[in-house]
Amino acid sequence: MASVLSPSPSLSGRLSAAGRRIRGAAPSLTLVAALLVAWEFAARVLIDGQSVLPPPSRIVSELTDNWSSYTVHIRATAAGAAWGWLWGNAIAIAIGFFTVLVPSLERWALRIAVAVTSLPIIALGPIFQVTLDGNAPKITLAALAVILSTLVGTISGLHAADRTSLEVIAALGGGRLTQLRKVRLMATLPPLFTALRVSAPAAVLGTIIGEFLGRVETGLGVALINAQRNVQTERVWGVAIVATAVAGIGYLVIAAVGRSLTTWAPKETGQ
Amino acid sequence: MTVTEIDHIVDVRSSDDASSPGPSRGAGIHIEGLSKSFRLGRSTITAIDTVDLKAEEGAFIALLGPSGCGKSTVLRILADLETPSSGTVLVHGEPPAVARRNHHLGIAFQDAALLPWRSVEANIRLALEVTGKKVAPTAVADLIKLVGLEGFEKARPAQLSGGMRQRCAIARALVTEPAILLLDEPFGALDEMTRRRMNLELQRIWMERVTTTLLVTHSIDEAVMLADRIIVMSPRPSKVLADITVDLPRPRTAAMLRTPEFHELVDHVSDVLFGAGGDPEAH
Repeated sequence: MASVLSPSPSLSGRLSAAGRRIRGAAPSLTLVAALLVAWEFAARVLIDGQSVLPPPSRIVSELTDNWSSYTVHIRATAAGAAWGWLWGNAIAIAIGFFTVLVPSLERWALRIAVAVTSLPIIALGPIFQVTLDGNAPKITLAALAVILSTLVGTISGLHAADRTSLEVIAALGGGRLTQLRKVRLMATLPPLFTALRVSAPAAVLGTIIGEFLGRVETGLGVALINAQRNVQTERVWGVAIVATAVAGIGYLVIAAVGRSLTTWAPKETGQ
Repeated sequence: MTVTEIDHIVDVRSSDDASSPGPSRGAGIHIEGLSKSFRLGRSTITAIDTVDLKAEEGAFIALLGPSGCGKSTVLRILADLETPSSGTVLVHGEPPAVARRNHHLGIAFQDAALLPWRSVEANIRLALEVTGKKVAPTAVADLIKLVGLEGFEKARPAQLSGGMRQRCAIARALVTEPAILLLDEPFGALDEMTRRRMNLELQRIWMERVTTTLLVTHSIDEAVMLADRIIVMSPRPSKVLADITVDLPRPRTAAMLRTPEFHELVDHVSDVLFGAGGDPEAH
């Protein structure tokens, strides 16, 4: 029998693939560098002030000089976002799985999730500030920011399971629970991880909005407000960059975990 | 229904459909007066119209008919994936729901439906996990050998060809040693050459472990090649047109496909199939 197994990727093959990726990224890296140079030039020569648009070099020196004053805020925001991410996703995944076992609940679960998400987070914030204590408001806001996308991801993932595979399980005498365990659980991972990684930046955003509203001493949201009040433009930019980095790292870490758990799935485009 | 009631019950070569004594209801397949209709909006569509079918234990039955004639529905009713509108259905002497829950069924579809995250070996083992059946420790390895997938135990479905995936699906259907094997166009998506080869392979596998088998197919060659009896079904509403016994000796070989006996049977089945379809060109 002729072998139809595709040859396992050799080391040299993988190296050349990495090389291709670096070469593929080269144009965008060049573009970013060009933009930074243009920004620097515009800020120093054209605007020539330190008000709205500080040159990138000064933002970098602000970050390196005062890094120690950032870490406490980074830690607070990262912790809040992580807890919110965990809670929100745990609730969404639990509801999603429950709706597969009790299909009549699915429409209601989605409706409530849509309704909750449609409420502007900025309007909910003050309510939580009044009703909840300490870190709870920001964690709640972070959780709310991720629930809908993960619920949709879970439900669509559980439905994405191959119908014939489910019928094979049924014909063998397996029930709904066996179908869930043997087929749906794994089939749901690719769409679920798509939702989970998008929800990382959303959780960071929810946390920072929670911090804007006060009641906490630390966090990037607090740092941002303080820098704004004191007209420390470089610091405002510094906090914004750090917040973006926290969200981006969360996204990349979850994407990497997802990829390692779903090596069997067809490659996604645009990663 | 206003259908011209022409029942071409053509019994050729001693169909043993008559009162066979003993365990005729006990084992095998027993279908009596089976009808199935679907609601489509306000109208009702009759997919299967009073089908009778009996298969003794160990028989290989082919259900042959044009696409969409409801033959797959018969199989799906036997597997308890759909419920009959009326009639009696017994699989291995039990109603389908009971046979299913007692893990007496093995099934394979046109789509191999292998789980992409499991290897060949783990996909076959899936049937054991679902049914909770204990088999000899070498059973999976033996079966992999039997279906010709040796060396591919650890391969993922994406790395296999279509034919190999079907071999794996058939191994998964057989590993629980089912009382009834249900095959729904298992080679329907394969190219003609692979299909021929798989037919010979399936016969070899079946002869090693004789299991009551119902094969749904729209290939006349495949039905004649594999079956002890061919049940020819009409287009919707599906009725049994003929029950044709295939008395070619086993193992049927590739060379046999060129014999006059084989062609005679194929011609005869085509006559029944196309004659009933009202196609004037066919005869």
